[in-house]
Amino acid sequence: MNLLLLLPALLMIGLVFVWPMIRYGWLSFHANSVLTGLNPVPNGGANWIRLLDDQRFWQDALQTTRFAGVSVGLELLLALAIALLLDQRWRGRGVVRALALLPWALPTTMMALGWRWIFNTPYGPLERLNEFVGLGPLNLLSTPMWTWLVTVVADVWKTTPFIALLLLAGLQTIPKDLYSAFRLEGGRPIQALRCITLPLLMPYVLIALLFRGAQAFGVFDLIQVLTGGGPAGSTESVALYAYLNAMRFLDFGYSATAMLAGFLLLTSAMLILAMLLRLSGLMKPVQP
Amino acid sequence: MLHLNGLGKRFGEQWILRDLNMQVDEGECVALLGTSGCGKSTALRLIAGLDRQDEGSIELDGEPLDSIPAERRRIAMVFQSYALFPHLSVRENLNLGLKIRGVSPAQRQQRIETVLDTVRLREMADRRPQQLSGGQRQRVALARALLRDPRVYLLDEPMSNLDAQLRDDLRPELRQLILQGTQPVLYVTHDQQEAMALANRIAVLKDGRIEQIGTPEELYKTPASQFVASFIGRPQINLLPVDKQLTIGIRPEDVGFDPEGMPCRLISREWQGASQLLLLDSPRGALRMLCAGDLSLSEPLHVSWLTSAEHRFDAGSGHRLAE
Amino acid sequence: MLFRRGLFAIGLGFLLLVGVVWGRPEQVQSVTILMPAPYADATASLVNRFNADNRGRIHLNVSRGPLETESISDLAISSLLLGSPPFDALLVDVTWLPKYVAAGWLEPLDPWFDTADEQGLVEGARLGNRVNGALYRWPLGADVGLLYWRTDLMADPPRTPDELTAVVGKLQQEGQAPQGFVWQARQYEGLSCDFVEMIQAFGGSWLNPVSGEPSLDSPAARQTATWMKGLISDGISPRAVTNYAESESLQAFKAGDAALMRNWPYAWAELQGDDSAVKGRIGVTTMVALPGQTPAATLGSWGLSMLRDTPHPSATAEAIRYLTSQDAQRERFLNQGYTPTAKALFQDPELVERSAVLPQLEQALDQAVPRPMSPLYAQMSDLLQRMLSAILTEDLDPDEGMAQAQASTLTLFRSAGGTA
Repeated sequence: MNLLLLLPALLMIGLVFVWPMIRYGWLSFHANSVLTGLNPVPNGGANWIRLLDDQRFWQDALQTTRFAGVSVGLELLLALAIALLLDQRWRGRGVVRALALLPWALPTTMMALGWRWIFNTPYGPLERLNEFVGLGPLNLLSTPMWTWLVTVVADVWKTTPFIALLLLAGLQTIPKDLYSAFRLEGGRPIQALRCITLPLLMPYVLIALLFRGAQAFGVFDLIQVLTGGGPAGSTESVALYAYLNAMRFLDFGYSATAMLAGFLLLTSAMLILAMLLRLSGLMKPVQP
Repeated sequence: MLHLNGLGKRFGEQWILRDLNMQVDEGECVALLGTSGCGKSTALRLIAGLDRQDEGSIELDGEPLDSIPAERRRIAMVFQSYALFPHLSVRENLNLGLKIRGVSPAQRQQRIETVLDTVRLREMADRRPQQLSGGQRQRVALARALLRDPRVYLLDEPMSNLDAQLRDDLRPELRQLILQGTQPVLYVTHDQQEAMALANRIAVLKDGRIEQIGTPEELYKTPASQFVASFIGRPQINLLPVDKQLTIGIRPEDVGFDPEGMPCRLISREWQGASQLLLLDSPRGALRMLCAGDLSLSEPLHVSWLTSAEHRFDAGSGHRLAE
Repeated sequence: MLFRRGLFAIGLGFLLLVGVVWGRPEQVQSVTILMPAPYADATASLVNRFNADNRGRIHLNVSRGPLETESISDLAISSLLLGSPPFDALLVDVTWLPKYVAAGWLEPLDPWFDTADEQGLVEGARLGNRVNGALYRWPLGADVGLLYWRTDLMADPPRTPDELTAVVGKLQQEGQAPQGFVWQARQYEGLSCDFVEMIQAFGGSWLNPVSGEPSLDSPAARQTATWMKGLISDGISPRAVTNYAESESLQAFKAGDAALMRNWPYAWAELQGDDSAVKGRIGVTTMVALPGQTPAATLGSWGLSMLRDTPHPSATAEAIRYLTSQDAQRERFLNQGYTPTAKALFQDPELVERSAVLPQLEQALDQAVPRPMSPLYAQMSDLLQRMLSAILTEDLDPDEGMAQAQASTLTLFRSAGGTA
């Protein structure tokens, strides 16, 4: 009976997750490109051997990991500060709460176009400002390092509100009595942050970390529109590479391999992270 | 000795506590009794320093507390919700405050072990609060308060989350652990029975003001108003209007059978073992009456009471009229 | 029982209906063509006229696709992959054709267009339509890379790389046109287009014209990359050009901040608008070249291709012919400024009067050079773009970068089993 009730959910997961994964797995052991007339031809592990030797894939994997790590890290810090601020009572809080969510509601492509405009040299507002204060053109989107930072800034700008909201929900589950009790025990408010707020918020931080980490690792449209993977491929993500292979190069066998490899890397990274967190004792199940 | 001088607190235009004047002596327990929203918990938060009063002052042993922040007032409070830290074990819960206050590790351990024995929680020391029963959580909260070594104890409805049986069991424990000390204790409750059982004095609060303050006996015998009269004493007092000026109150236990008395009709009857509560229809209105449990009743019933047992109240203001 | 009888009646009715539809002697053939939004809009009135002329016979439908080239390719490919796409023909970019043919999606147009038809096309429009000798695409408009120059800043446009740097350098020193020469050095397809023109300027080519092997490490190729890098490091082109696509270049040129611009014919109309700071002060020519080398104009252009699965090939061909007819070209040129493909139209007085650059356009079209016609073109171009971008934005030595580009293109060819 229980199984029967679960069936719709299982079917859904099967359709949207398990089936594509099986399909990718199958495709990754086939050559399927314009050279085979788009017919799948078994080619053993040729795709996987090519992948192991594909410097571009590994560079992309590294770049994507770095992008995800730095963006999500910054997002968590900023979001925590914002959530703490929004959890306090002050005039105009409701308005600010609604406004803070705006970036999250904006479509990624529109936002990426906006950033591209802002950083446009020499006609974007940022460069005009630089010129005004006498810094001269910075050419931010012409250097790999700076371009990478711009992608991080754009991602942080867009998704911090989401994490902030998640953490705010977490903060509001913490009973106010705990803070009162802590003060009467002799603790100052700043100590309460470390002794009560952070430990009790940890489950929410972990949810945000896993959710956003996976999402940031799969970054695609932001990069596609903002930089197209450039300059010199320095901002290309695994998802963008897989997309190029499928939709531009019509090499579906290799695209599936790259996609699957990216997924496996992400999953193992998450597992390692979860294990480290468990070891560090941060992930004790807590129900406030 | 805790001294409250004209304490008041408002939210916006609305005063939720006003003119609170009170003194709690060393070793004394005063109960703040009232319905919910009467300002009794607010009073505790002001004393603890968690909220700031809008008028009046608080003194402890002759020294004003008003400019001292909550964390340095050395006041212990037991919350209705217990406010135990859910991510810490019992031992860690007890340890946290000591650590923050800079007690040495050796001393910390010794004091925690002692208090764990006192509240009989040694076996539970490594459990998290959510793995404990309500009564056990309550005892952890008491233990934490004891370890604070406070100058005043504030108890905010400490037993209202427990079932009746457990409350009866815990009452002696509470008395032994906290009320026998030398510190003043303020005990907030909405349960008159609990207040009568535990407190040396009771302050009945109504709409943010003290209606009457006195020993349980004083409140029972000479209630200052209809409100106090009906709040104190169970079964509830009978309030019988006489005319536009006068209402008299007569407690159910003061009503007796008297062949010369008023004829009454029995409407219902609650048998409670040693006693029974009768609800009667009398010429002066509905009447509650308490009588011995083994009494067999035969209608028609005739009842009366001594005039000296009557409480006389002004029908308009509800205040007690001079004898 | 009653229910069953009802079902039977419905079934019978359905069969009758099918019979009637099937039995009709002449049935309206519905033809659908997918185009990017601007082309679809430019074709709307033609479609109405075609449908009026062919009432009861053919009904033509133009699907308005996304605006961006790559998005329309994504849409087309997705629907082709799913099988039985809802289109009979597609508007196809010149670089997609070999890939689509290799994928087996297209039907040759040879039965409907003969050599006489091809003879009528301007030189540049004849290129990029055939794969393995078969005609797979019929051009809708002509498109080649051009060099735009400022008539108010120079008497004649530069014709060699040295002249270009000299004239721009001088203008910059005089404080005019601070952005100098603007082109497309962002890591995307435009960079490959610019490269095709510049490498020919130095006497080289992407693929060896004889062997078909990549020749990206040839002296000419290395010279090209060095020159491109030099443009930026010497300030002839701003550093920001490494993030410029067509629209950013046009923005700079239109604002009067640049002396020269490499762009496509569409820019002409934009530069003649009232919001243009250089209106009426623009000349058009082809990319510079070393003395003795023929300047090149990279072939762009969209064309119509028929899908293999179309149930109405003749009707589709008829629609393609109508939409690409001289009358249609004239209308699109006069109304939207799309460059015609028919040779005759470039001398047409009415058209020349509308746009004085038409003769220069024809000249440029005569020098049109297609990008490598290979099913692997997307990969080749991607490799080249990344490497050029690295040369232009990082400290990568041009010689070393081109050697790497050569090596990875060779690897690509080998893994594909021989040359492209």
